[in-house]
Parts: sequence; structure tokens; C-alpha cells
Amino acid sequence: MSRGPAGGNVREADSPAAAARTGEPSEAEVLAEATAPEPGSPAAGVQAPSPSGLGLIGWLRWAWRQLTSMRTALILLFLLAIASVPGPVLPQEGIDPSAVTQYYTAHPALAPILNKLSLFNVFAAPWFAAIYLLLFLSLAGCVLPRTFRLAGSARQKPPRAPRYLARLPLSASYATALTPAQALESGGRKLAGKRFRLRTGDGWISAEKGYLREIGNLLFHIALLALLASVGLGGIFGYKANRLLVAGQSFADTPTALDTYHPGRLVSATDLAPFSVTLNNFRATYVTSGPEQNQPLTFNAALSYNRSPGDPVQHYNLQVNRPLVIDGVSIYLIGHGYAPEFTVTDGAGKVVFSGAVPFIPVDQSGLTSEGVVKVSDASPTQLGFAGVFLPTAADENGQLVSVFPAPLQPRVSLVSYAGNLGLNSGPSQSVYQLDTSGMHRLAVAPRPLSVGQSITLPNREGKLTFTGYRQWISLAITHDPGQLPALISALVALGGLILSFMVRRRRVFLRAAAGPDGRTIVDFGGLARSDAAGGFEVEFAELAEELRTAQDGVTQAGVTKAGGDEPETSQDDKSPDDPVPAAAGTEPGGSAPSSGNHQALGPAEDANGE
Amino acid sequence: MIRRAAVTLVATAAVVLTAAGCEGGAIGQSTALSNGQSFVSGTGTTFLDAARRPKAPEISAKTLTGSRLSLSHYRGSVVVLNFWGSWCGPCRAEAPDLAALASRYRSRGVRFLGIDIQDNPANAKAFMHTFRVTYPSFNDPGDEIALEFRQTVPPAAIPTTLVIDRSGRIAARIVGGATYNGLKALLVKVLGAHAAGASQ
Amino acid sequence: MPAINPSLADASNALVLTAVLLYALAMLCYACDFAFRKERLLAPEKEAQAQAKAKVPELVGAAASATTAAPDGPVSTPPPPPVTAAAGRAAGTSRWPTGFWLRTAFTLTCLGVLTHVADIVARGFAEHRVPWGNMYEFIAAITCMAVLVMIAVSVRFRAYYIGLFVLLPVVLSLAVDVTVVYTPAGSLVPALNSYWIAIHVTAMIVAIGLFLVGTVVTVMYLAADRNERRLAAGLPSRIEGLMVHLPGTTVLDRLAYRTILFAFPVWTFGVIAGAIWADHAWGRYWGWDPKETWSFITWIVYAGYLHARATGGWRGRRAAFIQLVGFGCLLFNVIGINLWVTGLHSYAGMG
Repeated sequence: MSRGPAGGNVREADSPAAAARTGEPSEAEVLAEATAPEPGSPAAGVQAPSPSGLGLIGWLRWAWRQLTSMRTALILLFLLAIASVPGPVLPQEGIDPSAVTQYYTAHPALAPILNKLSLFNVFAAPWFAAIYLLLFLSLAGCVLPRTFRLAGSARQKPPRAPRYLARLPLSASYATALTPAQALESGGRKLAGKRFRLRTGDGWISAEKGYLREIGNLLFHIALLALLASVGLGGIFGYKANRLLVAGQSFADTPTALDTYHPGRLVSATDLAPFSVTLNNFRATYVTSGPEQNQPLTFNAALSYNRSPGDPVQHYNLQVNRPLVIDGVSIYLIGHGYAPEFTVTDGAGKVVFSGAVPFIPVDQSGLTSEGVVKVSDASPTQLGFAGVFLPTAADENGQLVSVFPAPLQPRVSLVSYAGNLGLNSGPSQSVYQLDTSGMHRLAVAPRPLSVGQSITLPNREGKLTFTGYRQWISLAITHDPGQLPALISALVALGGLILSFMVRRRRVFLRAAAGPDGRTIVDFGGLARSDAAGGFEVEFAELAEELRTAQDGVTQAGVTKAGGDEPETSQDDKSPDDPVPAAAGTEPGGSAPSSGNHQALGPAEDANGE
Repeated sequence: MIRRAAVTLVATAAVVLTAAGCEGGAIGQSTALSNGQSFVSGTGTTFLDAARRPKAPEISAKTLTGSRLSLSHYRGSVVVLNFWGSWCGPCRAEAPDLAALASRYRSRGVRFLGIDIQDNPANAKAFMHTFRVTYPSFNDPGDEIALEFRQTVPPAAIPTTLVIDRSGRIAARIVGGATYNGLKALLVKVLGAHAAGASQ
Repeated sequence: MPAINPSLADASNALVLTAVLLYALAMLCYACDFAFRKERLLAPEKEAQAQAKAKVPELVGAAASATTAAPDGPVSTPPPPPVTAAAGRAAGTSRWPTGFWLRTAFTLTCLGVLTHVADIVARGFAEHRVPWGNMYEFIAAITCMAVLVMIAVSVRFRAYYIGLFVLLPVVLSLAVDVTVVYTPAGSLVPALNSYWIAIHVTAMIVAIGLFLVGTVVTVMYLAADRNERRLAAGLPSRIEGLMVHLPGTTVLDRLAYRTILFAFPVWTFGVIAGAIWADHAWGRYWGWDPKETWSFITWIVYAGYLHARATGGWRGRRAAFIQLVGFGCLLFNVIGINLWVTGLHSYAGMG
């Protein structure tokens, strides 16, 4: 830790060398200038020694400083934004795997290249992780030391008042009949009433305000770190699963019962909450007429569940936006559809298949659904059927379509196959797809069946009867212990953000000395840091007015702006900035308190005190 | 000292971040649509020494034929418990091997039991007819029996085969399709170990 | 759910058309104000700025101070004009608009926004729900919010000069909305049927209205900045007639900045509320759904804008461009995603 010209703990960047680089004086220098007996530019001319022979530690330190600089943060932020763009633009594995497959067929040459670059799974890609990890590392490396520095500086008192308050960016002066001591006392009381932190000296008061701003700023960034940690922890200790449940079926929270199961790294099957859920029935209502016909209105799944085997059974109406929570595990209603029921008998009349087969909706308006029936134990050969279920079948231009999503006129139309389903040899198959490579199509024309009707297969292969239909729901089952911490982190971040935007840092100084004509001349000066949004002049002018009237003073000099232009100070100091090109010489704003100054309301001991 | 504390904190933050990032699934995960895969993949054979075997849970349930059966009825025999479903491909692949082993080792004191998961009884019976499965199976449409095993050696996928020794403790587990030789080796081990006078 | 009330729905349609008309008339009056206004707006402050630019930095300490023993240095130019508390805000202007054209324009704007609000309320009552469930209603709400923000900013910062420029995109969007995007009053799909629509979507509407005004002011700043650079280079100004009525770049820049500063936490809150609702409805609070991803990208770009303002060399024009990129992302988020990308957020209600 080097010491700056005005003493105190400053980072290297706040040295005059850095100031010369940025062309803007640090706060310490503004105060120093206001104290120096001679007017003139600050102690410039000290050039930064060019580093030679840094050595490994030196290079590491340099690299670390680059990583935690504001400019790197900017670059990483934009990199993160750009890196996120392929996500919504290209189909993603995690969101819509079938769209990815379609992309492969549409762009056969390009797709494998994109896949190699992880562009079909952008947010799990290693390069995406590298970007946000670097960003958070940069954030942590800047914010954590600043937190310590804030804790340190908060315990220190405000700096001493400079001698020449008129050289501060904003100053005012008036004469009063009170004695200097009285003037200071009344001024001090006024400032204390406005919740300034005071430090009094011989003939002067130094006051400062606005630590909440830095606190809010740091709180925001630390909360972002906590948010990332919560997301990570939730991923390690939580799990996500899906299950499709036909009306009348039940399932329990065990891996064999779940259609898809993604446990976190430290989750084992014994950690799953042992609840069971039964779907009693599912009802949906739809708009029956008007421009929004066919649009769903309500979904309601009547469930029974128990928390553990042997516990009493409870009931719940599951709806979208109304999940069921059991022992920290949340169950959500994601989708619904139809499952027509079939009974298949073989040539001898024995039942070889019976039950409801979930069909998947392919058309959202009328809920036309597709599915397959696999009869793997039919004799003499295995049978397979593929086709559609139409809840409200109607003939439109010779084609059979479903015109309404409720089952007002349910029909099923199937194509029949016989042969080898491919199930016996072992590898898993999708229950919604029929692999007809080992099968031949039967010479039975598909015709729409209503409930109770059957297809009789040729050659005494058997008979399929459409016996009825049920509805099914798809559930998302999630357990995320990081959810609540993530929420709290996000809200804390929001609070910190608002705090850092609303609070302004400012310093004001008061000096009172006996004047030439026996009256007391009171000088009042102030400077603001992080006032890019403006407004400090107004506040200063009001404050000066209040003090003056409180002491019955007569204005000697109205509120004056040194430099004339609004000091453009930083909003969100993070670390030393790049040099402001050509700004120092031409704009008088260059002489105003700097932006980029990293020192957080730190102490600046008076160089040539009193 | 403050600087050292800051460095330590940053290093810790880095570790946490990396762990979170390595859980890249956490950041990259999103809603997975059910893609029709009706069982969870995962294979592997586990054999437990006599000292580490957990006690098998008490199971008493109805079979596919409607009669009531309990696991404790088979205390004294080695029990092979097979979780299966007629809709499951690997279960069909292993069914002939299981049926063969069931008849071959019956005389040596091994009994086979099935647990039929999420299945329709008619379909299950057709399956048993196809593969000439003679041993009974529990009917477990709501996964209650599977739940009973959650504290011990839960079935991780369909099919899963558990081997329970004569004292009613779970001695081995095969996740995924069982092979004739693989299961036979386990049976020999469990039978043999006990015959050599292993503890109760 | 009770049926849609047709008379209220019709009233809502009539009201929105009236609002568009009133906004268009207000725009005309703002333009007339620019054309016919005699006195210059905010002139004293601009003159002070020009004077300050001419000063030599050494005269920083020129103001006499009774505590110094000797004078600080030669006083060759008069000190800058005193800044009083009242003059701290745009010296010489009053809180309320002055001049016939400006007053008419402002009154028409206020009438227009009242009609607009009435339109939205009527639609809400017609549908028995919060009236932002599809693209038409959403755009109507955003434009209404933008005008409300414009009025607030005008009054609070005496920035009536933004009127013409804010109303331009508002009128255009509303016209397109009413003609092309229009969907008749209807009910919500079950996924949207939650009290969260009042929280998440409302926050987004407020934020987008604020961002819209901020962007307009940013564009004005860029134009003024370009004008100043041309003047500095000795070239004649192309938009002098307009520039006389606008304050300097510093004021415009600061105004844009303050608006964005206010909007950013609101957008952050909207994203958080959206995540909570997503968890409630779909079982996960963040799934990289296209709309979620784009709102994240927008948030990142605006965070970059805020960081840029704190970085030397990025403050003026570069930061303004970053802000424009951010608004572009926001527009894509609001409109493009609904129209061209399918995801869980496809509730545009458009065919």
C-alpha cells in the first residue's frame, strides 16, 4: 500500500502518477490544492516509472490488476451478452431437442460444426462458463478488497478542512454577527441535523455524508456472487424430473418411476422425498365460440397424494400457476393430452394387450395427437399400430382433422404393422415412436374408429378394439435447495442497487474567522463525488442558504462554481480508469474532482495541516 | 493483514465459482421435455459382503394373479427380486435368461420373484406367457414396493435385479439388463458364501 | 370467467384512436413551439457554459476569499454568475410551460394520456382482467407509460423540449399497434392467469416506458453532440434552428442518464419477478427461454452502459451508443421474440 501525496491509504492508482495518466486530479489532490498556499496545478510531472524486469510475481500482479479493472469488466460484460445471443437464435438441446434434429436435417454441413462449438447447448458450454466465471472473478477481486477498505475507512474521521475553501468546486461565503465559535457551533448543529458526520477543529468543521452509497454498491455486487453460488449449490444438491401420468395412474418419487431424472452431483436415490401421487382425473375447459375459440381457459388436475407410505392421503387441485409442494419438492402441471385405450386380442382370442396409450398432441388448436401402440406379446408375430387420435373429428376438405380440443367426437385412426418391434433385443426405444424397419404393413386400410369399434387384422393375426380414452398430464418435479437463497440474493442485489443509485456522497467544510470589520466571515465549501446525475449544486445552494439564514448572515459571495462546468464524476467506481483523451487541457471540467478515483471516501490527511 | 484476508476471500470465491461453474449443468439446465424414454439409463453390478448387507424390507402385496404374497415367506431361500415391465426392452432381453436360471436353481434353494412396475396386468401376463415365466410377480403399478427399498438398495432403473440371501439381507444388485452368466456368478457367490458358514 | 363486455371493448377502441389523434396534434404544437418561439429556452445556462469554456483554468481560485492574506492572482475576467438555489435548476425557466404553443402542446399531451389511460382501463374492465395479455395491449401500455414518463420528466426537470421527439415514436408505434397488431378483447390463456401478471408485466411496462424516453433523449444528445463537434471544427451547423431550443449536451446527457438510472432497477425487478413467476408456473426460475435470455442480454448491456459511464474515455458518445444497443436488444426482446422465435413466451396472440 503506497501513500499518496496527502497521506492516507491509497491504492497505487491514486498516486499522482496515475493522476497524470488520467489527466484528472484525485479527490486528495483537490483537497491538497485547496490547502496549498500557492495556486497552481497539482503536483504533476511525476511520471510513472516504466516497469522493467517484473518477474513472475510482478506479471501475476499486473495480470490481476488488469482482470479486476473496470475496462476488463466492461469487455467481459459485453462478451457475456454476445455469447448469449446464439441461445435464442439457434435451437437448443435443453429446450427443444426435436428442433435441433430438424436443424441437422436442414443444414447437414453446418450443424456438426455448430455442435462442436457447443452452439446447440450454449449455456452449458465451457466457453460460456469461462466468460461468466472470469467476470465474477473480476467482480470478486475488485469488490472484496473494497469492502475491507470501506470497513476501514468508515472508522476514520472526515479529512481536515482545506484552508482555501473558495477553491473547492462549490463555495459560498457570508458575514455574520456571531462570534466564530458560535457560528461554527450553529453550523455544526445544522449539519449534524442533516445527518452529516462531523469532525471539528480549530476554526473549522469538516462534514461528510453518503457512505450508504458505497455500501449499496458493494452489497449489490456481493449479492450477485451469492446468487451464482446459490444457483451452483442448487444444481449440486437438487434434482429435476419429469413424469407423464394418465388419469387413474399413480407414481412415487423414485428413479424408476420418473420419465426423466436429472439429479445433482451429490444427490442419490435415497435423498428423494418418498411421496406418492395419484391422478384422479383431469379437466380442461376451452373457449367455445368467438375469435378465441379453441383457446384453453382452465386446467385442473385432481390429485391425491401422501407424503410417505402409510401417511394419510390428501387431495389437491393442481393447476398451472398453482404447484403442489411436498416436503420441499415442487410439482408443476406442464402439459396435458389424451391417452386412448385399446384392447388387442391375438388370433386365438386371448388378450395380449390392454390399457391406455398416451398420444402426444401435434396441433395445439384441436389437440390432434399422434402415438403408437406396441403389442410385443402378440402371437404369432408382434404387432405395432401408429396413428392419430382426434378429440373432435370432422371432415375438412376430405381430410380428417380435429376442430375442437375437447373430446366431443373422439376418433382414432391407425395403420397396422406386424413383425419384429425390436424390443426383445434390448436397447431402449421411445414409447412414442415405432421402428418399422423389422415390420411389414398389414393390408388393412386405416379408418376412423369411434369408441367400441375395432380393426380386425388379416390372416387371423388378431383384433384391436378402441375401448375408450383417458387424459394424461405431464408433471415437472423439482427440488432446488438453492432457490430460496437465490431469491434472497436477487432481492438484496436489487436493494443494494437502489441504495447506490439514490444516495450521493458529499463533503462540506465550514470555516469561521474574524473579519476585517469585526464581523465573522464564514466560508462554506463543498464537493461531491459520484454526482454524474447532477443536483449537488442545488443541494449545496440550499444548504448554504439555510446556514446563512440560521446565522442571520449577509452574503459576501454567492454560491460559486469553480471551473464553471459540472464536475463529471463517476457513478460506479470500480478501479483506475483509462486516460481521458484531451479532456484535461481544454475542458475546465478537468479540474473538477475525478471520476475513476478509486478511493472510497477515504481519509486524506492534510499534507501541510494547520 | 487486511490484504491477506482479502486474498483468502477472493480465493474462496474463486473455488466456489468454479464449483458452481462445473455444475455447468446448473447454469445450462432447462426444462427437459419428456422425450419418451421410459426408463433411466444406468448399468452396473454391486456385490455386498456379508457384513455390509442391509436388511431387505418387509414386502407383502398382491401378485398379478390376485393372490397375496410376502417376501418373508421365502426366508431361508436365496431370493432373486427382479423389477420389470412388459413395456421395457431390456427386460424382454433378459427374460429368457431369468426364466432359465429360475428353473435351474430352484432345487438349490433359489426362488425368483418379479415386481411388475407401472404395468397393466393383462400385458404383464402376456409377457409371462411369451417368455414362459413361471415364478410369480408382485403387481406394483404405483411404485409402492419400489419405495420400500429407498433406504436400502433402491432400484435405480428398470430393469434392476436384487439378490437377497437366506437371512433376508440384500447381497447384490444388477442395474440394467442381467445376463445369464452375470447373474449365475452372483448366485454362486451368495449361495456359496452362506454354505461356508457366513454370519446370520 | 365472465364474458367479454362488448360495449366497453368498443369504447376502448374509440378511446385509443382519440388518444392517437391528440398525441399527433400535440406533436404539431410542439413543432410550432420550436418554430415560433421568440425567446431562447435555457439561454442563461448555455451562456454560462460558453463563458466557462473560455476561462483559463488558473482562475479557479479567482473568487475572493476573505481568509487569504494576499490576492490569489490577477482577476482578468469577471467571475462566473452566481448560482442560486433557484437558478440551480435551468436558470430562467419556470416549472410550467410558457408560451402559447408549448402550453397547448402540453395540454394536448395530458389530455391524450388521460384518454389513453381511460382506454386501457376500459379494456381491462371489458375483459375482467389486467389489460396486458397480448401484443396489442402490451404496446398500448408501453406507449402510455412512455408519455407518462415524458410528462413527469418534463415537469420535474423543466425539459419540455423532449415533447416532440418522444411523441414521434409513440404516435408511430401506437398507429401501427392499432392497425396491424390489433386483437379484439379476449381472455387469458391459463398460463398467464395469475396475479403475477400484475407484477412482472407491469414492472416491464414501466421499465420500457422509462427506457424509451431515455433512448429518445440519448438520440437528442448524440445529435447535439455531433452538432457541437461540427461547430468546433468550423463547419456550419445543419440543425441550428432546432439546437437553439435545446439545452447543451451536458444537460441532455445528464437527463438521459438519470432516466436510465431510474429504469435499470425497475428492469432488474421485472426480471426477478419474471423468474419467480416462471418458477411458479413452469417449475424452474431460469431456463434460458429466448425471452428470458434476451432480457438477460438487455440487462447486461445496460449494466455495461452504467460501468462505461464510470470509465474514462467511455463516458460521452461511446456510452450513448452502448445505450442504443441496449435499447435495440430491448426492442427485439419485446417484439422480435414474440413474433419470430417460439418459446414458452409466445403469447403474442398474433396469427
